Amino acid sequence: MATWARWGTVSVAVEKQARPRSERRFGTDRRWVFSLVFILVVELLFFNFAVSSFWGGGWGSSVSMLGDGENFLFTSMIALGVMFVIFAGDIDLSVGAMSGFAGVMMAEFHLGGMNIWVAVVLAVAIAALIGLIQGLIITYFKLESLLVTLAGWFILQSAALAWEGAVPPYGFPKHFDSLLGTGTVAGTVPNQLVIFAILALLATLIVHRTRFGRQLVLVGHNRDAAGYAGVRVSVTRIRAFVLSATFAGIAGMCIAATYSTADDNLGPTLLLPAITAVVLGGVDIFGGAGLVPGVIVASFILGWLTPGLLQDGVSDTWASIAIGVLLLGSLTVKGITDRRQGVSMLDRLRARSATATPGAPPPAPDAT
Amino acid sequence: MTLTARRPKSHGALEASLDDAAQRPAVRYEARHITKAFGGALALSDVSVAFEPGEIHTLCGENGAGKSTLLKVMAGIHQPDDGEIVLGGETLHALTPRSAQLRGIYLVPQEPTLMANLSALENLFVGILPRGRLRFTVDWKQMERSAGEFFSQVGLEIDPREPASTLSIAQQQLLECARALAHRCNIIFFDEPTSPLTAREADVLFAVMRQLRERQFTLGFISHRLDEVLEISDRITVLRDSRLVTEMTAAGASRDAIVSAMVGHDIAQRQRPHREISTQPTVLELRGLSHPPEFSDVSFTVGRGEVVGLAGLVGSGRTEIAEAIFGLRPSQGTVLLDGKPFAHRSPHRSVVAGLIYLPEDRGHNGVFANVQLTRNITAAVIPKLQRAGPLLLPAEEREMAERAAERTRVVAPSLEAPMSSLSGGNQQRAMFSRWLLAQPRVAIFDEPTRGVDVGAKEDIYKIIDEISASGIAVLMISSELEELVFVCDRVIAIYEGRPVAEVVGDEITLERLGTLIVGEQAK
Repeated sequence: MATWARWGTVSVAVEKQARPRSERRFGTDRRWVFSLVFILVVELLFFNFAVSSFWGGGWGSSVSMLGDGENFLFTSMIALGVMFVIFAGDIDLSVGAMSGFAGVMMAEFHLGGMNIWVAVVLAVAIAALIGLIQGLIITYFKLESLLVTLAGWFILQSAALAWEGAVPPYGFPKHFDSLLGTGTVAGTVPNQLVIFAILALLATLIVHRTRFGRQLVLVGHNRDAAGYAGVRVSVTRIRAFVLSATFAGIAGMCIAATYSTADDNLGPTLLLPAITAVVLGGVDIFGGAGLVPGVIVASFILGWLTPGLLQDGVSDTWASIAIGVLLLGSLTVKGITDRRQGVSMLDRLRARSATATPGAPPPAPDAT
Repeated sequence: MTLTARRPKSHGALEASLDDAAQRPAVRYEARHITKAFGGALALSDVSVAFEPGEIHTLCGENGAGKSTLLKVMAGIHQPDDGEIVLGGETLHALTPRSAQLRGIYLVPQEPTLMANLSALENLFVGILPRGRLRFTVDWKQMERSAGEFFSQVGLEIDPREPASTLSIAQQQLLECARALAHRCNIIFFDEPTSPLTAREADVLFAVMRQLRERQFTLGFISHRLDEVLEISDRITVLRDSRLVTEMTAAGASRDAIVSAMVGHDIAQRQRPHREISTQPTVLELRGLSHPPEFSDVSFTVGRGEVVGLAGLVGSGRTEIAEAIFGLRPSQGTVLLDGKPFAHRSPHRSVVAGLIYLPEDRGHNGVFANVQLTRNITAAVIPKLQRAGPLLLPAEEREMAERAAERTRVVAPSLEAPMSSLSGGNQQRAMFSRWLLAQPRVAIFDEPTRGVDVGAKEDIYKIIDEISASGIAVLMISSELEELVFVCDRVIAIYEGRPVAEVVGDEITLERLGTLIVGEQAK
């Protein structure tokens, strides 16, 4: 600050005008999270009356819908992971396959004689390494993350299948199945919910309160401008892929523990629900905007929707349709409210494809 | 549908356009009281201009005066906020580029917008491809037959099957003209077509324009080269700061009249403040920085507290040199910071080393439009933000941003307001505050006053003064020569990627710089 001392007199700067339009971007994000909480409450109230087994034996009871968390919490974990990549303006299609591959890896290590916990740590570490490699390929060769991670999906899923052979590996120690899978804390709170809560808190802090998170959002919002501001864009994007793969790896461990077997074919079942949760959570699919708590709430809305409807006697097909309608409806509402605030998705699409960022001056109106 | 079905209409349209007799009637095209703003920045304010058939009507003005915007409004690219567009007595509503073309209005844009991978032929007829025997096929033979006619009308000798990307800029512009003719347009606007052209190439274009004038086309033209403006125009309109200043006929026009109308009385009176020339220790030094063909053998120094200007036309390599220093593009040669070679440059390493760059294109490379002002300001110092453990402290960050915003007098609804809610001038002030937080030793400012209003310009000059007074070495790029004259201690003129002259202190004058940047060595 020494250089400033020599500056001349300076007048007042930040004029406090009326605030109506002021906090609009951030404001809409917050409002979105509140809307999601409202939707969740309505959903739970509905199931409270509609589903007889709603309360059941409480958390962790296999008969209660509310305690059915183990059927979706690993999807929520994957959603948290892929969220980092989406924040950065990329996409990671390999997360589902990564979970499966990590599970098979862990199982094969263990069945090969390795201590289960060493196998878990090693498998998650290798998943992170694969995320690093994908990130390096994407940034170094300047390839589309969509294509690279699509290739990653195929490779990981096939590799898992090839590794496990004809019979999926199964049979893990009881304490492993219990701790990461179906066990509960004091008989009420499922262990997976605790794991998810820790990951969710971590993800929230990482995105909203760390230097990396700040860079992540800026890179996602405007990659070029972030680069000009001295942000290491490639490093930031690579870190996001590492986080995504790590979260997917952890989810893979939980899945293996829940079903006491590794499954190579998790890509299709996990990927789209995870991305759905991120988008419904209000994270801009083009990156650079959104709040992590929104994703957390959205993953619960979606997680409870299917089992709730199923137990209410609605068929699987109709449950999927309900999810589609919920996503479409809520995004439409969000799009309309955002546009009223002046930042519609269409605006941003246009800004990306051709002209300047909305609100910015015309790009070089006249050049010499 | 029968196999022999044809649509005579499409052929009819095409053939008619080959025939001069079937040319659209000559028509007057007017803008009446047009007002247009982008975000908070006013681009046009109550501007009325009439383009007459058989005339070349030139728009003059400084950068940001609104010339391009006016043509874009008249070509349907931008919608005016107020005012009307009148074509031969008929008011046009909700004009789009497509509907403008259908009415015979064509804008040859500043940068040709041909589809690089398509052939010249396809580019010529895009939008009006003649149909073949089957209604969904393209009649290639018909296209080739008629293409030759359009190409010869604009003096273009190329293989129509070559992809457009193989054409030179000059050829691409002629192809744009041919496209206008193929689309039966008789109102053609040229938005600064000559700035990337050599004098010879420009002459070819002018010959085509004169020919079109003979045929009673309605022609609009923009150029910064006053000699050619005087040579080719029938009528000249001068815009300044989004407003129409004056309209004159070519007979009544003179270089001085245009310049004083462009620059305006107030700026003409502004004297270059006399500055003591003192030798300061060198902070930034370039030795033979090269990246052909963009620039080669660039060597100069910038001293502590000195403001050095880079003057040159667009495309002369100014911005490329700055980007190479900052590490955005590769180059040979050496950059020294405080006498020590600074190799393996990247934006990140530059910022850490105290070398910062304010990019020319604020919209794309500067601001994070929907992100809060605070975070826009602290974007370059994220690694240095105060923390408790790994966690950032929002209150401290806010305070830091607020102090920085005060330094550059940013006016904003609040620190949480998104950048896009600020006017152009305030966005630029915020950009300055971002870079000042980084506590640079060397600051490169590329077109620091582009797209900002007049008041903000003055403020930005003041900020630059304060920055250099605090000992920061400043390298400033500008297309506005007045600005360089006013602000700089020393100016280096760049022509075709090479520094051609260095002008120091009171020798920096408009005339001197004006001749240097077009490659004419001053005596």
